[in-house]
This record gives sequence, structure tokens and C-alpha cells, in this order.
Amino acid sequence: MKITIYVAYCIFLFFITTFSYLFIDPNFSYLHNLYSGFAFDYRLQTTILYLLVIFLFFIFYFLFLWLVYKKRLNGEYIRLLIFTTVGVLFFSYPAVLSYDIFNYIATGKVIFFYHENPYIVMPIEFAGDSVLAFTHAANKIALYGSSWILLTLIPYTAGFGNFLLILFSFKLFIVLFYFALSFLIWKISKNIFSVCLFALNPLVLIETLVSSHNDVIMMFFALFSFYLLMRKKNILLAIIFFILSVFIKYATFILIPVFLYVFWRTIRKKAVDWQKIFYFSALLMLGGFFLSPIREEIYPWYAIWFLSFTFLIPEKKFFLNISLAFSFSLLLRYIPYMLTGTYIGQTPILKELLSFTLPVLYSLYYVLKKKI
Amino acid sequence: MINGKLLLSILALVILFLTFQSSVYAQSNYVLPYPSAMPGSIFYKLNLVKEQILKYWYFGDFGQFHYNLKQSDKYLVEAKTLFEYKQYLLGLQALKRSDKYFSNTLPYIIKAQKEGKNIVQKQNLLKEAGLKHINVINSIKEEIPEIFIWRPENSLSSRLDLKNAVQRSISIRKKYL
Repeated sequence: MKITIYVAYCIFLFFITTFSYLFIDPNFSYLHNLYSGFAFDYRLQTTILYLLVIFLFFIFYFLFLWLVYKKRLNGEYIRLLIFTTVGVLFFSYPAVLSYDIFNYIATGKVIFFYHENPYIVMPIEFAGDSVLAFTHAANKIALYGSSWILLTLIPYTAGFGNFLLILFSFKLFIVLFYFALSFLIWKISKNIFSVCLFALNPLVLIETLVSSHNDVIMMFFALFSFYLLMRKKNILLAIIFFILSVFIKYATFILIPVFLYVFWRTIRKKAVDWQKIFYFSALLMLGGFFLSPIREEIYPWYAIWFLSFTFLIPEKKFFLNISLAFSFSLLLRYIPYMLTGTYIGQTPILKELLSFTLPVLYSLYYVLKKKI
Repeated sequence: MINGKLLLSILALVILFLTFQSSVYAQSNYVLPYPSAMPGSIFYKLNLVKEQILKYWYFGDFGQFHYNLKQSDKYLVEAKTLFEYKQYLLGLQALKRSDKYFSNTLPYIIKAQKEGKNIVQKQNLLKEAGLKHINVINSIKEEIPEIFIWRPENSLSSRLDLKNAVQRSISIRKKYL
């Protein structure tokens, strides 16, 4: 039974990786041989395939969660699942749903290749650079914090100037933080169910292992700073890691009140109710998620901000179910554009409807159930 | 007699055409900043500190190009405002600073080119900026006296050769057109 599920899951993962290559940008010269134009020419078929991927991914996810909950899967099996997932999805083409990885590389190139300040000089100012053909935010100065910019020196240098190597170095760099964050969730919770909730979550996997968003890095540093305070180990290091987290993409700035409260309790050697801390942190990050349209719009990968905390406290059923509902519905957000190829017209309203209908319906169900 | 009148009219038209041609420059879409704090204000001193710090923030050839151009713009606007208020000494100092920063721009473009960066956009930007600066300096030129004797309260008076200074500023920018 377990082997059958594992084999089916492996086949499914290979299917996702293959599917991702249907999205190769026509201007992405580095993989020109693999370009098919399928995702742009056959939008309906692509959307159906994408929907199939999402549904199957969630079926596997809930199956694994159920088996873990029923204690029919052990840690060894979960580890195998995580490593297999990473091993296969690592090779997927990253710009399926977002072009952010190209922005990371373009920004890295501005500072580490051209030796210019990416907060002053935009990638588009380097006319004729090959990355401009497929980078979508080349006309913007660096959007991320200084911690992230400095950290990108590692994957950028590891690519030795070869674009594909740089691309996969960035992917690898983010994968390492995905491992680190999953391990940290285990260290904090000592609960295999929490690890499964996070590490096998389709939204986390798609946005981290396929699209390579840096949110896991921000969340790792934030959670690691809490972990250090939890262990009452190195308080100075906890502060440094928290600052590092804030300056990845600023979102964990919202956790400052919680961090200061824990910090104050720790230095006064008072007990900290960590369940409450994670609960309030999840609430704050959910607040940050809802506030993100002030800056741009709600992007699916922003859910990683609150999922990292929510999955540490699975006993909060309402919060857990809302998080799972968002994990599913936010991945549907990509459908209107995938189908129509336009960001205007009905696309914006459809995106919001697809993103919020399920969580709102669940909330209503929860409220009604409580009243009854 | 008629031929003479016609000749005179043509000559007058040619002179008129040449006169206008020598004093009117192409319009530039380049946008200058609003005037910021003026000398004497505490914010002006803070701005001087900020200016020094920003020098390091704008690292890189393009960064330094932007920094120098930005400072040149700022001091040009400052000079124009000060001249309008007949603060000729301070206005002249601001104009000289603007000249200094403007002259600093080109070496960074050349350096960037040597490093293999495409400099066409920057060259065009500098040209646009130069045109705009010349327009502004010409408007200053029309409103200032040729020479001004500055008499401070407790020290010796100084002679400010304003027209020459303004002409020099124009010449500096014309090099980049």
C-alpha cells in the first residue's frame, strides 16, 4: 500500500516537473531547445492540466496527513517523501507561475556583476543584457531587503557566470532553507504531523520548490530567532536572526511586538506560553497577508508567512482549516490569467473570488456550526 | 531703390533669424527637482551631511553618475532661487557647485563604458539634462547684473563677475550636447 502510494506520488512529481517546462518563456534563450509554446498556445488545455495537478497534489497531501494522523506513516517515510519531492521538483522550470526568480538574479547581477547599487540602478539600465528579455520587473529597483541582497551573493557566485547554473543555484539555495525550515518546525513542535502539514503542503512546495520564492528564508530566520529564545540560548543571536528576517522582505516587521514580548519575558526569566506566541504570530502574519494589497496585491506565496506558524499549532482547528483552505484557493488564483492571458478585464475580480470563496465559506460554516 | 529696401528687409530677417537661433536652445523633457532647503536653514546643514553620506550609497559608475547629476540639478535649482532673491553670492556658490557636479558626470560614463556597460541611455540623459540646465541658466542670465559688488557687514567687499560665471556654466554644459 505504502509503496504503491509512493510510486504514484513519484510519477505525479515527475509529471509536475515535465508540465513546468511547457511554460518556458519564448524569450528565454537558455532553454530554447525545450520551448514548445504550449502554455501560451493551448491555454484551456494548460489550465485543465494545472487544475489536475492542484487537485491531485491536495489528494496526496490529505492522504499523507490522514495516514500520519492515524500513525500509519513513520518519520522515515515522511523523510523519504520530503527528499523525493525536493529531488524531483528541484529540476522543474521555475517561471511557471511567477517570474520572481529572474528578478532575484537580475538584482544579483546589478550588484555582483555590474557593481552598482540595486536600490539606485534598475536592471533595465544595462541595455542589451540578456536577462532583460525575460525579466518582468527589470524596470524596478530592488524590492527586497538588504539581507536578501547580500545572501544572494552565495547562489550568484556559485553559478560561475553561467545563467542556467545561477538559476539552479538560486533554486538550490532556497531548497536548503526549505529543509532548514521544515527541520526547525520539527525541532520546535516535535510533531511529525506539523512537519507534514508544512513540508508536504502543495502551496509551500509549488511556491518554494518550483517558483523558488524567498519567503521560506524570511520565515526560517524569524522562526529560528524564536527558537533561540525558546532554548534561552543566545539572545544576541536571536536578535540578529530576527533583524536578518525583517530585512529579507520586510513582512516579519509585523512580528516586532511579539518578538519584544518574548525577548522581555526571556531576559526576565519568566515563562513563555509558546502556543500563544505562535498563535499570535500566525494572526499577525495573516494580518500582514491581508494588508499586502497596500503594496501590490495578495500573492499566493505570501501564505507561507502565516502557514509557518499555523502548522506549529494544529490543535487550533479553525485556524488550521482556514490555512488549508487558503493553501488550496490561493493556488487557484493563477487560473484566470493562465486561461485568458490577460491581467485586465474579468481577471482581477475572478482572482479575488477564487482566492477567498473557500476560506469565507468555511468561516461561515464554522460560525453557523458554533451557533447551532 | 526698391531693390535696396528688399535687400535690407532680407538682411533684417536673416539677422533676426540668426539672433534667435543663437539664443534659443532645444526644449528638453528633463525634469528638475523642486528647490529644497536654502542656506541659513538648519535643514540645509542636514542636507549637506546627507549629501556626503549619499556619495557612498550611490556606489558604482552609474550610481556615481546619477549622484553627481542629481546634486548638479539640486544646486542649479538652488542657484536659480537664490538669484531670484538677489542673493548673488550664495547663488554664485550654488551655481559653481552645480558646475562641479555636472563636470563629474562624464568621467563615470567613460569608466562605465570601459567596463563594458552600455552607456547610450546615460549619454542621452546627460544631453537632456545639459539642455535643461542651459535653459535655466539662460533664464538666470537675463535677470542678473553683469558685475555685482558684494559688501558684507564686517569684511571687505568682493566683486562678483556674474555674467562670466554664468557663461562659464553654460560652456561646461555645452560640451556634453
